[in-house]
Amino acid sequence: MYAGPVQGLIDELGRLPGVGPKSAQRIAFHLLKLSKEDAQRLSAAINEVKERVSFCRRCFNVAEVAAEGDGDALCELCGDARRDATVVCVVEEPRDIVAVEKTQEFSGRYHVLQGAINPIEGVGPDQLRVRELLSRIEGEGITEVILCTNPNIEGEATAMYLARLLSPLGVKTTRIASGLPVGGDLEYADELTLGRALSGRREVEG
Amino acid sequence: MKLHRLWLTDFRNYQKADLEIAPGGLTVIVGDNGTGKTSLLEGIGYLASLGSFRGSPREALVRRGAPAATVRAEATRAGRRLLLEAEVRLAGLDRVLVNRQPLRRVRDLLGAIQVSVFSPDDLTLVKGGPSERRRYLDAALVALHPRNDALCSDVDRVLRQRAALLKQAGGRSSTDVERTLDVWDAKLGAAGEALAEAREALVAMLEPEVAKAYDQVAGTAAVTSVRYVRSWEGPLGDALGVARQQDLRRGANTIGPQRDEVELQLEGLPARTHASQGEQRSLALALRLATHAVLAGTAGEPPVLLLDDVFSELDEDRAGALLAHLPAGQAVLTTTGALPPGVDPALRVRVHDGRIL
Ligand SMILES: [Zn+2]
Repeated sequence: MYAGPVQGLIDELGRLPGVGPKSAQRIAFHLLKLSKEDAQRLSAAINEVKERVSFCRRCFNVAEVAAEGDGDALCELCGDARRDATVVCVVEEPRDIVAVEKTQEFSGRYHVLQGAINPIEGVGPDQLRVRELLSRIEGEGITEVILCTNPNIEGEATAMYLARLLSPLGVKTTRIASGLPVGGDLEYADELTLGRALSGRREVEG
Repeated sequence: MKLHRLWLTDFRNYQKADLEIAPGGLTVIVGDNGTGKTSLLEGIGYLASLGSFRGSPREALVRRGAPAATVRAEATRAGRRLLLEAEVRLAGLDRVLVNRQPLRRVRDLLGAIQVSVFSPDDLTLVKGGPSERRRYLDAALVALHPRNDALCSDVDRVLRQRAALLKQAGGRSSTDVERTLDVWDAKLGAAGEALAEAREALVAMLEPEVAKAYDQVAGTAAVTSVRYVRSWEGPLGDALGVARQQDLRRGANTIGPQRDEVELQLEGLPARTHASQGEQRSLALALRLATHAVLAGTAGEPPVLLLDDVFSELDEDRAGALLAHLPAGQAVLTTTGALPPGVDPALRVRVHDGRIL
């Protein structure tokens, strides 16, 4: 344990994903050595992102807030009228959108779940944007849902859960083809492989 | 497959070690207890399985005060020269290189070399609980085919997720819990069934080899049997449905491949409880020899035998029988002193205090 503010900083850093107690300590002491300007730039960047960026009210992608107090932002992709509104690609995180966009194989809209079913980490369907997806299906005239969760255990379980939930709604549900490195994340798949997985997607039954 | 040389850096009590391995026959490592003989075998074993065959945690493998240990070996496989390198780090993931090229995934190293380990702890295979035998089978499955590694870790992951969900449900069921459990049941049904089938296929290959090896090692004919006993009946997916209420009540997975048993029998009786210590030892050796034979038969090349101080626990007859029936190929053996008569090492090295003399 360290004196008040230092321990406070270590505790905060330790809450970040992938940062264990040892790393938190190392980062904290690195921050202590920063010049005041550098430290202020970092804290300003954090503040700015919290003020100017929020989640898209439709798809939960990151979205820039146009005016102060505008909490109902729409992301760039949802605001683009040229995109096909009848097909929606379901991903776990905003960074997965970047991966899918790079393939240039998809021109519909997205839905970000903000995670995957993962009981070990206390994440169930309730903690994900599942209800919001269901209400979009009817509200936006969506005819196909592509389940593009990660090709690992949790992503596959989430895809199966959604497929079963969507099946009574009569919407076509597809899953990206296998062939992606198993156990990996979408963001590590190369564009060609992910592109092929998208175009080779197959209909799944609930 | 042939091993030519092993280098260790900051591994166990070695700051640096350089071990030459005889191209054929027996390489004998002589040294007192606690001087680091076994660590040399453990280093070779690490490259084969990415773990310690002594079951030690990775932290134990890194020399005190060092941030990481390195195990490097030169091998030939299918006529190709391979330089294998694994860095065992105290913090973070291992780094693994083949011919100085880093592998994208550490587990891709599995299958590069194969070993068969014989150690004084082998008795626990017969005397210990079912988890020892399941772990043994799974390790053999991975050595047999690296893709089994993904299967084992999938089953493990699904089990942990399902257990977490069952625990969170706190004995109460709801539509939400049921729906999510349905998904984990489907996943466990598929992966668990596949793992049980793979284990059963392996047991079927092992059984005749165990019978043959037992007679050789024990020096007498006896009826042995190896049976895989599932903890459920019918398709696993269906059985999980039946077990659901019980699982919810206990907040745990009550059936599945993690509850299966591998039953070893001698003359129709469970060897765990009914065999003498000598018979148990023979059976453990027979199981190791059988696995070695199956691996050699499947890979087309025999794995490297790692014989860790096996003679300290064997009486003269069994030691002699083991030596007489040692499969051809490379073997590395550790011992504190004299070798049984008839052993003719191709290479002999002495180890003292974490140094190869
Ligand atoms: Zn959006």
